[in-house]
Amino acid sequence: MAEFSWDVRSPLDRALAVGRYGARGDAGVTLTEIRNFDLVQVMARRGKAAEMAKAAKARFGSAAPKTPQAVQGSDATLIWSGPDQFFVLSKGGKHAIGALGQAFAQSASLSDQSHARVLISVSGVKARAMLAKLSSIDLHSGVFAVGAAAATSMDHTSVTLWRGNDLADGLAVFNVLVFATFAESLWHTMLDSAAEYGLAIAHSEQLA
Amino acid sequence: MRIVCPFCGERELGEFTYLGDAKPVRPAAGAGADAVYDYVYLRDNIAGVMSENWYHGGGCRAWLKVTRNTLTHEISAIEPAAGAGAAKVGA
Amino acid sequence: MAGGQTNRLNNGGLIDRSAPLNFRFDGKSFSGFEGDTLASALVANGVKLVGRSFKYHRPRGILTAGSEEPNALVELRTGARREPNTKATTAELYEGLEAASQNRWPSLRFDVMSVNQLFSPIFVAGFYYKTFMWPAKFWEAIYEPAIRRAAGLGRAAGVADPDHYDKAWAHCDVLIAGSGPAGLAAALAAGRSGARVILCEEDFAFGGRLLSDGGTIDGLPAAEWLSRALAELAAMPDVRILTRTTLFGVYDGGTYGALERVNDHMPSPPEHQVRQRMWRIVAKRYVVAAGALERPIVFAGNDTPGVMMASAMRTYVGRYAAVPAKRIALFTNNEDGWRTVETALGAGLQIAAVIDARPDVSPSHRSLASRNGFTVLHGSVSGVDGGKDGVRKIAVSLTGGARAEVEADGLAVSGGWNPAVGLTSYHRGRPKWRDDIAAFVPDGAPPGMVAAGAANGDFGLGACLAKGFAAGVAAAHGAGHSGKAGTAPVANDEAFSLTPLWHVAGKGKAFVDYQHDVTASDIELAQREGFESVEHLKRYTTLGMATDQGKTSNVAGLAIMAAVTGKSIPETGTTIYRPPYVPVAIGAFAGHHRDETFHATRLTPSHHWAAEQGAVFVDTGLWKRAQWYPRAGEKDWLESVTREVKAVRSGVGFCDVSTLGKIDVHGLDAGAFLDRVYINTFSNLAVGKARYGLMLREDGIVYDDGTTSRLAEDHYFLTTTTAKAGLVMQHLEFCRQVLFPELDVQLTSVSDQWAQFSIAGPKTRDLLKEIVDPAEDLSNEGFPFMGAREVALRGGIKARLFRISFSGEMAFEISVPARYGEAMARNLMLAGEPFGVTPYGTEALGVMRIEKGHVAGPELNGTTTAADLGLGKMTSTKKDFIGRVMAGREALVAPDRQVVVGVKPTDRARRLRSGAHIIPKGQTPGPGNDQGYVTSVCFSPTSDQWIGLALVERGRERIGEIVHAHDPIRAEDYDVELCNPVFYDPDGGRQRG
Repeated sequence: MAEFSWDVRSPLDRALAVGRYGARGDAGVTLTEIRNFDLVQVMARRGKAAEMAKAAKARFGSAAPKTPQAVQGSDATLIWSGPDQFFVLSKGGKHAIGALGQAFAQSASLSDQSHARVLISVSGVKARAMLAKLSSIDLHSGVFAVGAAAATSMDHTSVTLWRGNDLADGLAVFNVLVFATFAESLWHTMLDSAAEYGLAIAHSEQLA
Repeated sequence: MRIVCPFCGERELGEFTYLGDAKPVRPAAGAGADAVYDYVYLRDNIAGVMSENWYHGGGCRAWLKVTRNTLTHEISAIEPAAGAGAAKVGA
Repeated sequence: MAGGQTNRLNNGGLIDRSAPLNFRFDGKSFSGFEGDTLASALVANGVKLVGRSFKYHRPRGILTAGSEEPNALVELRTGARREPNTKATTAELYEGLEAASQNRWPSLRFDVMSVNQLFSPIFVAGFYYKTFMWPAKFWEAIYEPAIRRAAGLGRAAGVADPDHYDKAWAHCDVLIAGSGPAGLAAALAAGRSGARVILCEEDFAFGGRLLSDGGTIDGLPAAEWLSRALAELAAMPDVRILTRTTLFGVYDGGTYGALERVNDHMPSPPEHQVRQRMWRIVAKRYVVAAGALERPIVFAGNDTPGVMMASAMRTYVGRYAAVPAKRIALFTNNEDGWRTVETALGAGLQIAAVIDARPDVSPSHRSLASRNGFTVLHGSVSGVDGGKDGVRKIAVSLTGGARAEVEADGLAVSGGWNPAVGLTSYHRGRPKWRDDIAAFVPDGAPPGMVAAGAANGDFGLGACLAKGFAAGVAAAHGAGHSGKAGTAPVANDEAFSLTPLWHVAGKGKAFVDYQHDVTASDIELAQREGFESVEHLKRYTTLGMATDQGKTSNVAGLAIMAAVTGKSIPETGTTIYRPPYVPVAIGAFAGHHRDETFHATRLTPSHHWAAEQGAVFVDTGLWKRAQWYPRAGEKDWLESVTREVKAVRSGVGFCDVSTLGKIDVHGLDAGAFLDRVYINTFSNLAVGKARYGLMLREDGIVYDDGTTSRLAEDHYFLTTTTAKAGLVMQHLEFCRQVLFPELDVQLTSVSDQWAQFSIAGPKTRDLLKEIVDPAEDLSNEGFPFMGAREVALRGGIKARLFRISFSGEMAFEISVPARYGEAMARNLMLAGEPFGVTPYGTEALGVMRIEKGHVAGPELNGTTTAADLGLGKMTSTKKDFIGRVMAGREALVAPDRQVVVGVKPTDRARRLRSGAHIIPKGQTPGPGNDQGYVTSVCFSPTSDQWIGLALVERGRERIGEIVHAHDPIRAEDYDVELCNPVFYDPDGGRQRG
């Protein structure tokens, strides 16, 4: 009988070439694909938004975001994805869909999105200039502060965008969750958009 | 055009889909063919202020009721559909 | 004179004499300097003739020094980058630039088509309409090609543009168009107030008219003030200044379009850089400081090379140190024109005469004339003696009737200034007339927009600075910023006096619209023929319809119309203004979206595996799907597809069907919700079972179909067709949020979460037994038809297994989380190896569904009902659902509706084609007896002939009837037999086995 191996392959596995791309010199944009994460969509049952919030607080130690924000809970990031719904982004299975069922049993519906999305982290001095080619959202520091989130579109593709904590050098980090089957297409658009600034490309298992 | 989504804030037109007149209410089951006919076909298309259904499909996927002047594109009011999010509706 | 540039001044100007640049015009080599435009470099080289006109092929020279230029249009660059109708007046000079004049053959100096001038009496307004009316068929065959050769404005490259274009969004509090004194003052005020500012300047240098005219601001020379202002703006982090960027459009909600010519000034864009960038700017406030355009006066011979706008002549001399003429005459009706005299004299040029149309000129001008030995003539220019070598003599009609002649090699013309009212009028704002300046000024601008400076009719330098500054403060305040703006820069206002003069009557062609060759007599003719309204005038004469959009001609044209109709200019009115303000390349609108990246693409989880197998892909919507998998030696697609179908029917095959839309439907009312959106019932579906569902539109027509499974009491897994996935999600959200908000339902797209494969064929179970954990019971009893449940796979992952069949075979669909999709494809190959497993594509899938009589997109065509598709029995009569009432309308249940049947040709060897019309046998095809059409066809390996599905009137009652297939597109006529649409295994034993 044949031996079956079930290796996971990121949708960007072929397209992502670690290293430099585009203009030479200091890379203006850093693109990092974050791989192997758990992502669960949590949507409140009708009339149960308050209970869902309570359950989230109990589980993650922080209230689920009620406005477009990404908040840091214990071992998980809670990202607003629409009215009375949010994503739980985590690593290692602790907050995977199977583990969360009990906590939200009375208050919310859960849907596994771990394989449905690709997570791309964008940083660098030209990150905003590059994202301005893809996103109609105003990413000015005073408008889109650390922790701001948006359910929006990039290149006609639905994405969830949020600003993570700044890097040690003060530069902003933008996280983009894009549907997996669109990911390679958006990735090429990102490369095209950032080529003039020079890119550093990597992938990582670490959530930012 | 820009639309202020009650959940997401001001967004560009490209994130939204237009459906049309938001006034007609779907008749209850058993309302009769005439009522359903009116609901399906008798839509207003006003040169002026009109209440419209818009879908924020490129964003939070909420349906919105937008009051818009079709001559100037001025939007005077926006509210979410009754069932957007998890709000309890009815008894 | 420098470097062979016969008409270059030794000193002055904003050119860099240490950076010479070589260029070619019409094959001849020239040189210029960094800081030149092509036009200024041609001027510096004494080139006067730069093009031939559109209709009459008249020799033309440079008229202006800006983006309003109607004459000096060239083909810039060569090969794939050749761009016609490029304005020499805005094209920056670069090393190696190549340009060619347009509209001439064989050469600019000797143009065969200039004989058009001899026939010019017939090329009047409406000429084409009047002349080429009959016979009608001659138009396409003879007239149009001939006219296109004779007229036209340059040649397109004819090959794909090799450059990249780009689109980007920008956001600000205050957007400012123009960096002249008003724009800079506004930017300083708004920036100091704390506002986020974007300043767009069309030119490659900031300063607007300051660059040409200079002046004194805050006691400093203009250049010094300018550099201080720019330094201050550059130090403000929230002020972005863009050169080479034209604000071209105003859109709703404070959105503006701007085109940045990022690398148009380079021979080709540097590696990885874009040629142009389209900006979509969202601004809370907008200050239009786009200045004003000097307007010509219409007189006979006013298009002779060497006749130039007075301000343009100042620009060439002052900014570029390039001399358009050495002995200059000025024709003006206003004070401002005299500044050209001062500039020319300052550069050591000779003034031949000033022809001033006003009753009097100031004593200081008189003394300037006498000091410099030129005469001041009161009157108008009535003719120009000259040709392709330029102006020789100017005929003057003196006030009082006498005539005079002036010898000059250049004529500067000033008819006053028109504020740039385009940007403020794009939302149907109608500019208003101001008598004191005899010009239209902005009015009715959209909310948040204000014009300042010359763009608002305030022409003096002091006024521009003061009004611009005030507008900047107000705009910042309006956007919520009220920091200390300080005080406005101060300068004196120049004197302004003008006597309106639009048209000097006289013999010979007097041009209004240079680019479209519209003359004063064309406008008079239009009036005589009844085209008096400005909108009719525009369309009849084509006035203002060229690429320059009539920037130099519109107001003069309607002034002439006003004169001949006896109305005032404001009564005559302006045409509607529409963007873009300057031509914008389609490439800039497209940006990244061209060729392979024309739209976003979606790839299935097994895409790269399929590519490795050599699959041929087909675009279905945004998706790339494997269409078939050719093998070595197969001669065409049909052979490959036939092999795939046979392999499935006799063994086992698999196909990636992840493109189907997949939606998690959760909630306590999920079943009730599905009952309302499907015609059949789902609330009674058992957990662990799947059911085929059909959705209608509210008007009773079929919307979409798919299989929905119940995974838990409060959790259904709904699938849609590939094509409708997004629309069904939108529809279901509408039902959830708007129609049935009381129901507890949550919807989530999981289309991308699952890699889904259809595994089909009699050996499906054999294959599955290899890969599914042996503990799972896959027998007919343990996993019956339409079963749906989670199973464990060998190697430790879970999958969802659905016993559903599209092919009519014994089949399962298996779902694994998408990142296992590629492994799944490999493992299916591995597990199926002993059984000859064959991957198949969408073509084989399509063949098998036609063989099985399953309807798909061609039958769900937006006109069919459930009954038309043979699915009427699914309709529940016990519940309300979307489309229920309207589906019962008389016409939708009429007995003579076109319904799905099978068709097969009576000649077994014949190929069928979809689209053929069905006609009763023996009748002549026509609309009266058209009974339907063939919707789907395939070569059926199982039937060993072509078969199809068709929508045919009363089709189900006519099984066995021979009808006629009429295919006018392909000129085919043949007989087909109507038959049961289920060609394969009609009792369904195979899929249930």
